[in-house]
Amino acid sequence: MNLYLKLLSGSLRSRMQYKMNFLVSSLSYGLIMAVDFVLLAAILQRFDDVKGWNLYEVGLLYGISSVAITLYRVFCVEVHNFERYMVEGEFDSLLIRPVSPLSLLLTKNLDLSRIGGTIQGIIILVISIIGLKLNNIELFLLLIYLPVTIVSGVLICFSLGLITATIAFWTQRIKDFQTFTLYAPFNAANYPMNIYPGWLKIIFFTVIPVGFMNYTPILFLLNKGGDLWNLALPPLVSIIFLFVALRFWKFGIRHYHSTGS
Amino acid sequence: MVYWILLQKSFMRNMQYKVAHLINNAASAIFGFVFIAIWVGVLQGKENESPYSALDMTYYIAAVQCILWLSGFLTAGLNIQNGVRNGAISLELARPTNYFLYVTSQEVGRLLYNLFFRSLPIGLVFSLTVGFYIPQHLPTYFFLCISILFAMIISINLHFLVGISACWTTEIDWAHFVNFTLLVGLGGQLVPIDLLPAPLSSITPYLPFAGAIYYPVMIFLEKISSEVILIQLIWVVVLTSFNLWLTEKARHKLEIQGG
Repeated sequence: MNLYLKLLSGSLRSRMQYKMNFLVSSLSYGLIMAVDFVLLAAILQRFDDVKGWNLYEVGLLYGISSVAITLYRVFCVEVHNFERYMVEGEFDSLLIRPVSPLSLLLTKNLDLSRIGGTIQGIIILVISIIGLKLNNIELFLLLIYLPVTIVSGVLICFSLGLITATIAFWTQRIKDFQTFTLYAPFNAANYPMNIYPGWLKIIFFTVIPVGFMNYTPILFLLNKGGDLWNLALPPLVSIIFLFVALRFWKFGIRHYHSTGS
Repeated sequence: MVYWILLQKSFMRNMQYKVAHLINNAASAIFGFVFIAIWVGVLQGKENESPYSALDMTYYIAAVQCILWLSGFLTAGLNIQNGVRNGAISLELARPTNYFLYVTSQEVGRLLYNLFFRSLPIGLVFSLTVGFYIPQHLPTYFFLCISILFAMIISINLHFLVGISACWTTEIDWAHFVNFTLLVGLGGQLVPIDLLPAPLSSITPYLPFAGAIYYPVMIFLEKISSEVILIQLIWVVVLTSFNLWLTEKARHKLEIQGG
């Protein structure tokens, strides 16, 4: 842990060498993520709701999903950009260290420019929670549960990222898979799952379980249906999924052949 | 002709990644399905309040997802910034070719590739699932071709502008982000620009971003007069001349530095 904190502070310091660039890139990244939401606000200002979900309710889903994926992008940047290790043959150097390759990847680097997206997600969450005008008990429950759903979201995102990275052991390049396994599902999770056709819903509650991250618990917390199980499922699903992802990663490493060139 | 060869080479280079791109197309289609689902959900029971029906919006989003590969997802800064960073631009600008055409012809090759291996397959996916509009009048096809061509030229110019700005700023990441955000936000990628809130809906039709996405899509859906091509044409002329002028400026700047 001590080592981890040292690595983090080192990464932070190296980033801060280019303050202006850092500020502008985090700001613009936050901006681009906010545009979708602003456009959605423009639609819902005119048409009130999307299948029974108003702007603030959607905002809650949107905020959780954005915070989860951007935290993953900040802390798991090397897992996300794993194809570099395959394409440039750098993975061998990770295998000969006394620490596991995954721990090395997770501590190697931070992408702090993505923190702008996290802040933007938190701002949307705050605006939505204020706009919802919940009573005290509902508000208390939501605030208590919010960290759980965000952590579950990050775990699901990390697991998806790790599974995609593992694919690189066979395909080398994974950028195009990521659009499929990360970007598209997390974009979909910004909105309530009940708007999607059945086959998409099945995908988002099974192989790419992003629906559990925010839709399942928020449904119950906003009195839109479900029972206490809705609160138990997100951490449960995310832990099982993480376990599956880690197993797959280990399986991938066992089948890794160096290029030898 | 050298530019035609560059265009062909760029097309062939992209062919190397066909399989990866086909996987990516599936994801692009899913993005489309998500946006369509949002609109169908929003318009359910409220279609009489809207100038667009749920079916209209399905066709709209499907067409947008296809055209984005021709005028939305271009190479950041057309890679001009790399040349600036490693110094190669000094040679490229000194060559007896037109630098603007040298850079843009390579991008055109990539966009032509996108037409065959991205836009058409994605359109096919939509036509087999949610449906794809087919223009009913013959002249529409003619105007559509011109409008898409202008959309591509406008977008290439916007990206060239971002790229050539590297001669003064060296760092273009933020400029590309801003440009892309404006392109999809004000170009009508998710919301047709006439549905945007009041001040925006009256300004955006005259901005170049609408010419890159919204106008060709609306012409394709036969929901707008073909006269909007004139607005596109004005932007084509203005942006191209401005970029040619800026390229000259960049060349002069290089000569000063190199002296």
